[in-house]
Amino acid sequence: VMSKNKGSESVKVVVRCRPLNRKEESNGPAGGIVQMDLRLGQVILRNPRASASEPQKTFTFDAVYDASSKQRDLYDESVRPLIDSALAGFNGTIFAYGQTGTGKTYTMQGVWLDPEKRGVIPNAFDHIFTHISRSQSDKQYLVRASYLEIYREEVRDLLDPNHGTARALELRESPDTGVYVRDLTSCVCKSIKEIEEVMNVGNQARAVGATDMNEHSSRSHALFLITVECSQPGPDGRKHIRVGRLNLVDLAGSERQAKTGVQGDRLKEAAKINLSLSALGNVISALADGRSGHVPYRDSKLTRLLQDSLGGNAKTVMVATLGPAPQHYEETLTTLRYANRAKNIQNQPRVNEDPKDALLREFQREIARLRAQLNHRKWRSKQKKEQVEGEGWERDGDEETEGEDEVEVEVEKEAQEYVKLEEQRLEREKEAIREDQFLLAEEKQRLLGEKERMMGDLRKEQEATEQLTAKYKAMESKLLVGGKNIIDHTNEQQKMLEMKRQEIAEQSRSEREMQQQMLVQDEETLELRETFTSLQQEVEAKTKKLKKLYAKLQCIKAEIQDVNDEHVRSRQELEQTQNELTRELKFKYLIIENFIPPEEKNKIMNRLTFDPEEDQWKFQPLVPAESHCVFFLCCRPRTSCFWSWT
Amino acid sequence: MASLSSDEWRAICDKFTNAQNLTEVESRNDPENDPFRSKYKARELLREIYCSLKSFEVSEGEEDGGGESGDPRPSEQPVDGQREDGFGQGFSGDSPAGLRAAKLGAVEYYLGVNHVDTEELSAGQEHLMNCMKLLGRCSVSSENVSLFIHVRNQLGILWAGRDETETAQGFLETAESIYQHYMKEDGSPPTDMTEYFTTEEKLLTHQERTKRFELAYTHTMYYLAQVYKNLGQTERAATYCHSTLQRQLQLNQFNPMEWALNAATLSQYYITKGRYMEGRHCLSAATVISGLAGEVPSEAAAQESETENERREQLRQKRAEIARCWIKYCLNLLQDAKKLLEDNIGELDTDRQDELKRARRGEEEEEEKGRKSALLFGSEDTFDSIASLEEKVRCLFPLDFTEARAVFLVGQNYVTQAKEYFQMDGYVTDHIEILQDHSALFRALAFFEEDLERRCKMHKRRVDMLEPICTDLNAQYYLMIRRQLMFELAETYSEMMDLKLTLANRQADTQSLDSHTIKKFNHLCSASAKYFQMFLDSLCSPEGKVPEHLEEEVLRPALVARFRVARLHSRLISSSPSVQLDNLNRSLENYKYVVQYCETHPEAATTVETELELSKEMVGLLPLKINRLKARMAANN
Repeated sequence: VMSKNKGSESVKVVVRCRPLNRKEESNGPAGGIVQMDLRLGQVILRNPRASASEPQKTFTFDAVYDASSKQRDLYDESVRPLIDSALAGFNGTIFAYGQTGTGKTYTMQGVWLDPEKRGVIPNAFDHIFTHISRSQSDKQYLVRASYLEIYREEVRDLLDPNHGTARALELRESPDTGVYVRDLTSCVCKSIKEIEEVMNVGNQARAVGATDMNEHSSRSHALFLITVECSQPGPDGRKHIRVGRLNLVDLAGSERQAKTGVQGDRLKEAAKINLSLSALGNVISALADGRSGHVPYRDSKLTRLLQDSLGGNAKTVMVATLGPAPQHYEETLTTLRYANRAKNIQNQPRVNEDPKDALLREFQREIARLRAQLNHRKWRSKQKKEQVEGEGWERDGDEETEGEDEVEVEVEKEAQEYVKLEEQRLEREKEAIREDQFLLAEEKQRLLGEKERMMGDLRKEQEATEQLTAKYKAMESKLLVGGKNIIDHTNEQQKMLEMKRQEIAEQSRSEREMQQQMLVQDEETLELRETFTSLQQEVEAKTKKLKKLYAKLQCIKAEIQDVNDEHVRSRQELEQTQNELTRELKFKYLIIENFIPPEEKNKIMNRLTFDPEEDQWKFQPLVPAESHCVFFLCCRPRTSCFWSWT
Repeated sequence: MASLSSDEWRAICDKFTNAQNLTEVESRNDPENDPFRSKYKARELLREIYCSLKSFEVSEGEEDGGGESGDPRPSEQPVDGQREDGFGQGFSGDSPAGLRAAKLGAVEYYLGVNHVDTEELSAGQEHLMNCMKLLGRCSVSSENVSLFIHVRNQLGILWAGRDETETAQGFLETAESIYQHYMKEDGSPPTDMTEYFTTEEKLLTHQERTKRFELAYTHTMYYLAQVYKNLGQTERAATYCHSTLQRQLQLNQFNPMEWALNAATLSQYYITKGRYMEGRHCLSAATVISGLAGEVPSEAAAQESETENERREQLRQKRAEIARCWIKYCLNLLQDAKKLLEDNIGELDTDRQDELKRARRGEEEEEEKGRKSALLFGSEDTFDSIASLEEKVRCLFPLDFTEARAVFLVGQNYVTQAKEYFQMDGYVTDHIEILQDHSALFRALAFFEEDLERRCKMHKRRVDMLEPICTDLNAQYYLMIRRQLMFELAETYSEMMDLKLTLANRQADTQSLDSHTIKKFNHLCSASAKYFQMFLDSLCSPEGKVPEHLEEEVLRPALVARFRVARLHSRLISSSPSVQLDNLNRSLENYKYVVQYCETHPEAATTVETELELSKEMVGLLPLKINRLKARMAANN
């Protein structure tokens, strides 16, 4: 169902918010700062320190889960499709991301023993093995699990019994299979119980403390890797192998992201200063340009291991966890921004069909080889038996067509019978030799020894066959055959119920998608319609206005022309007057200069006043009318005019 | 210290030693659920020391004429970034009052660092600012200069952590200027802060004092480098990284391999900025210093001991990394020289070459001058070996084949070195990157080669090294690398084809080519087309469908590949008209694709302007040619 390929798809991001805890509730009545719209998949974040007028921040994700959400809801809606595609041969990754104490572990692991509170990982285990138990019997599966952690850029194998003392593992690349962890333990799991056991062993090795100040857990990333190989006869009659890889990743607490450097180059680093000179290399490599130069400091181990999950061949779900308490506003915002950016990462998932490194193929080959060996032995023993018993062992020649499963049973049985017969024969012969009177004692002894040796050989051969059978059985038992090795205990009704639940989850997911799309489209159409109607009106109104204004414009233009003409005319007149006046003035000056002595002129000038009312110059009377005027005139002759004006 | 009995004083000193021990040693073993246990204990001790000192101060109050109440600048907050570096003001550093202030300041400093370490930033800031306040009353002297620097370093870190880079810059730059001023004015080995609380017999030697003081300043440089980096001032950041490295070397405070790798990385910064002299200096120093880390343990030794094995691995890897930096040096130098010398069709511009050769003398002098003013690495015993290594390769642009070949050979030598460690099995990406560089070295060298026959052979070498890898790699995991390889192979074949044609035309003046040449030409032409087509196929969906929309990063390569495929098909030589017709049709098909894609995706047109223009023209012209051919075929039949 999932093998349909759509080319590229973006990383799915879901956000979950845990409830306020008791301590936070007692801190004040402020309540949570995170609001969620489940229907639209939106998170609305309120800044507890901002004024009410400041707009709240809204983020939209593929799904959101509020404090009341159930583990099952999150799994069915957001994780199940991913596991399904991993079972169909895709690579899948689930990231849990969030500040320490926001419920990452609860989401990923949950409470194992309580079915209601089981997290993503146990549900995924259940899902995988239930899927296998219900699949067709022509499918063969091989499930493997590895568990590692990355702490301070060192990869450690959590399944290695000497975990504490073991050397850090190295990342290597092979031309056939890409990046791999050299010498990583990988456990074949045949049942839920076994895979859970693997997880427990790893968790114990990780020794996660319970406190939120925990250095280790907040700085180390844990990766649980499940490989599901499935072999199925294709239409061409050959067996095809699909390999799905599932990475379950518990990222270090987001508050330490800057230090652990997960974000690689995708996300901005904080401006923190590195204290230790040992990090000088990081500073320098940030300056050097990787395109034309070589920068020896490589990507973080996590980035390299998960390069397929972020922008490569994988389907990826990121679960970001939030805390609703006001004091965590900054961290919550950081987490939301990080999650928001992750939405833009595009992956190109493809089915991994018949990869060269499929272990299943190797197993199948090994099993075939062992079976061939066993068959060979069987044939040999039969031959011998026939020699012994002559025609006494007449059987149908149907051995070759026997079911494969019976092979080893048959072989064992026959081998035992053969051994028994042979022993009896040897004993008989020994007896015969002993009883033979004609043989010399030495000869007798020699013959008896020979028979003894033959008995020994017989036993050795038997042991070898047993070993081979055991090996064959062990190999074969690692492979899970669809619907056979694991018994599915659920009855039909339960199955129906599960299916319905999945359908519901599927529907609610698509509903949310549609809602989100509708919202976007609504906005668009609304905007479009609004602009459209208003444009129509605007055109009409403006045309009218334009007409009116055009007429007005013409009037005004004419007016301006008139005024201009008028002005030109009056200017010409004025110029003429000015010329006449100037001429007259020059004439008067000439007279003054030539006929009036300077003292006289001054006297006259002093007596002249301008009468604004009559608009002409007048002579002041020779005798002043008031005495203080004289005083003024004498002391401040220059202001006289001024004074006389007022 | 008159009123403190020697016993009391000894108790204080013991507490201090204890606190230091708790902070630096014990704290590493704190349990995970109580990670700051030792630091909290240390904090208590420091507080006790502070109280003792304080009470002593009160009882001694009369001595400094007013003591606490006589604070010369009571409310003033010292703010760095302004001219406030404490020279020539307040108490002299070695006066009793100055010493007391320094001691109290030091306790405040340690309390501040302690709070910062335990993630109580505001409290830490307050203590550090108290220290600043106390120091603000004193002038800088050898007794307190170390504290002056340390407290500013810490405040720089604190503010940078809060994203207030400019504030951090202020503190750190002041620390820098205080250091420089002190070294100019005084320069005697200053008292270390730990000595404030040691008994006489445990005082440090001058050598140790200098070492600690210089280390503090090295940190100032290092923090400034980061601050400038965060402010986007890369050039300054690089200079400060350079100084940090230089100081580490001078003061003999470095791990050889780590230092060498840092210097090699820094060279990559210089190279991309075209500063080859500095780049070469960093690389030479890197090679010489990495030699100080000792011989690589033999394989036999590695098999016997785990630590030897790890050491072998480390040394080999890091030396190979340095070799790779050298490769890039040679490659970039050749490529930049090529850019400088090529004309508009990518051939050697001889006028330009002559011109540059004439300018060479001036450059050489410039280089000599530059060397003198540059920040040089090296201690007495390494200086000469660094210089002699530098002489092995020039830092000026090679201007002719002989010079280019010299650079090429150095680069090729490092290719061999790097490949020894980065083998295909285990280091696929690295190995291929090295091969790509090797190929690029050949390509750049071929530009300088005048003999076309030999030039062709160089390209053949490129094909030989890349072709087998391209076919061997898993297409799923190495998609990007394979695409790069396909494109490069296609281009190389095409270049070879052009060279063969030029050669043939040169030899035979007549138009007709002999059948051998035609065969060769056709082979190269179809090989080129094949790799372009492989590249295009790699973009298709698993079902083989051509993508409707090309992603931005492959848009131009994909359209160019289409264009080139079209061109190659039209150039294939054949005597059979039906084959000719097939080729022309395929050519037309690909030209059409380019034109149509740009019609449906107008944003694509700008990325392939020339190709689009030519494609449009060909879409117009090719049908005519095809029709003519068809007509001729019909006539012949």
